[in-house]
Amino acid sequence: MNDKGAILPAENGVEAAVVGWLKEALNKKVFDALLMPVQVPAGDSFAYLLLQNPALLENGSPLPPVMPVQGARAISRLTMRGNGSKRIAAVVRPCEARAAIELTKLEQAHLDNLWLITVDCPGVLPLSDYLDDPAAGAARFVEASQHWDRAPMRPVCQICHRFSMPASDLHVGTLGSADGAVFVIPGSPKGERVLESMDMPVDAALDDWAAQVKEMEEAQTERRQQAHADLRAGIAGPDGLLDVFSDCINCHNCQRVCPVCYCRQCYFESAALKLPPENYLTRSKRKGALRFPPDTLLFHIGRASHMILSCVSCGACEDACPMSIPVAQVFSLLADRAQETFGYVAGKSLDDPLPLVAYEMDEFHQVEQPYVEIYHKREVQDA
Amino acid sequence: MPEGLKINKGAQEAVRELLCSLLESGRVNGVLALGRTRGANGGVAYSLFTDSDAFVADGAALPFLPFMPANAGGLLSRLTLKGSLAGPVAAVVKPCELRAFIELVKRSQGSLDNLLLISSTCGGVYPLDVGANGGLEERLPRYWEAVKQGEVDSDVRPVCRACVHFVPENADITVALVGEEDLDTQCTLFLDTEKGAAFVKGLEGLQGTSLSGELETEPIQRSHSQRAAYREELFAGVEVGMQELIRTFGRCIGCHACKTVCPICYCSLCYFDSQDCEYLPEIYESELERKGGLRLPPNTVFFQLGRLAHVSVSCVGCGMCTDVCPADIPVSTIFSKVGTSVQALFDYQPGKDVTEEIPLMTFEEEELAQVAT
Repeated sequence: MNDKGAILPAENGVEAAVVGWLKEALNKKVFDALLMPVQVPAGDSFAYLLLQNPALLENGSPLPPVMPVQGARAISRLTMRGNGSKRIAAVVRPCEARAAIELTKLEQAHLDNLWLITVDCPGVLPLSDYLDDPAAGAARFVEASQHWDRAPMRPVCQICHRFSMPASDLHVGTLGSADGAVFVIPGSPKGERVLESMDMPVDAALDDWAAQVKEMEEAQTERRQQAHADLRAGIAGPDGLLDVFSDCINCHNCQRVCPVCYCRQCYFESAALKLPPENYLTRSKRKGALRFPPDTLLFHIGRASHMILSCVSCGACEDACPMSIPVAQVFSLLADRAQETFGYVAGKSLDDPLPLVAYEMDEFHQVEQPYVEIYHKREVQDA
Repeated sequence: MPEGLKINKGAQEAVRELLCSLLESGRVNGVLALGRTRGANGGVAYSLFTDSDAFVADGAALPFLPFMPANAGGLLSRLTLKGSLAGPVAAVVKPCELRAFIELVKRSQGSLDNLLLISSTCGGVYPLDVGANGGLEERLPRYWEAVKQGEVDSDVRPVCRACVHFVPENADITVALVGEEDLDTQCTLFLDTEKGAAFVKGLEGLQGTSLSGELETEPIQRSHSQRAAYREELFAGVEVGMQELIRTFGRCIGCHACKTVCPICYCSLCYFDSQDCEYLPEIYESELERKGGLRLPPNTVFFQLGRLAHVSVSCVGCGMCTDVCPADIPVSTIFSKVGTSVQALFDYQPGKDVTEEIPLMTFEEEELAQVAT
């Protein structure tokens, strides 16, 4: 990581500073367009807007109180079919940048002509809390984020330990900065070139920022581990999972809003699972009853096994669940354990290969062993 | 005058016993009904029951619970999509679920063969979040009190309060609930079809006296006019002009959950989720040049308009879409309002008659004159 950053004056707050800086970048043609959250005309939410008209920045909000759409989905829609010709700066939250990196590895996004710009993140409010009263929600968010109080934020934001600089091209460090200024930290040669062309010298020491980030990361990691330990007690084993998902109505909205679940059509909605009536009746007779539609828990386990290595714990799934199931909390626990098994951190770097794509000669002997010892012998016997 | 049965037991108990007997006697192979899911949290889900134990007192099945975790019209479609049932299966569904299924059958997405359809006059269902927050149980006493009086509890889905189609169409058996003051001790059920009568005739354990009565009682008519009045009020509260729709759907997050839970939206892959809507970067760039700014993901309002065009003629106003909307948009009120106008235009009532063609599938020579000129 860079140990020096540029100084960006921020007398009127972080949001105004970032918007002003990006407006200047747009005017100086450093970028051709910006992708960033903008307040919608009714004033009751925010949406990602791709804009090249600087006037549209008036309602731009680099740190909106909510995350209605996961920014990586916006980036993926824009670049899934290739790099565009315009140079675009995308202002997203750290977990959105991490999801964008995962999607790039999954060939669902292209970042060559896109600059990921992030800001130290205080979390976001659950969407439904905010929508109850948007003005009050916005005020509550501003108040809480000033003190880095995560209590009103999404449950997974409360236990987020990757709230600071991801592998973005430029990161705005707000922790540990002097009053009235923030740091702009380059994270890639691409990012460095932007600061160069805007005559922003990269000469400010980042020691204070780094120290505060580290301190907060440690505290958050501890909270996360504690929360996961508590959660684990309730969901362990098939019975625990059945309990936690017992309210699920199979709307699959967790999958729909998940940035990493990119399949155009999920297997669980495909023709493969539309079966003749006898099949359902036979399955019902085995147990006396068959939940309908079937495969509720199988869907969640299937989804977990497909995306958990790339799960960035953003919390979009939980916001979108009509039954208030703590999907994101459960998945954050599964993700941490699965990613740890492979020594992988989702979204950390474009260079780390996806664990299921990379193959190492020397991994997972514990899986091979039972086959060699048990099943192979049986196969020989049976033959 | 419809033929019916009067049973000297509470309506819920009588229907559970009826379903139990139907399963035990082998007259049906299964029953699709609401039930409690297992586990500490005790959710509610539709299940296909084949064991009659579910219908004994304190069994898992809860046929008339005022809750709709999924529109059962879509579930009956899932059950019969790949072919008709080989043997009889009963289903206890709400009137709007039945109407939705009729619309799906018209679209070749299901089959009525071998289905025994049991429905009831309906007092509405509570929104999903009431169930999610554990508030269902505590509301049941006042729900049933309201149903007895022919009133609608104010906490049910807004479109339920505004529902004027709460007397089922096309049921084989209709259980009278709305306005039945003695439903705790008496069960009145109407055998609307020969099929319904045949299943019940001579069923062991079923003791009732036959009755000849009207389903459309005075309390039903009163409830109808109350709900019609609320319907006007509810519809007046949403504007469906283009500018208003753009404003209302401004906070739509494009999750398409409304489509996923809509019983009428049966496409296995929606056009708006298809490859046709995955644009090349050049397309976005030229749009950007033209408009200065564009929303991502795209097609927010276009999706809603497309869905309105596709489903409004068959919208049964069940309210699933509003319940699942993470952005708290009153989707079902909007769709119900537009649906009512479109259906009036074609003099069509979704779910009323399975032999009546969907307006968009028929062509009348004189009807397009206004478009031609």
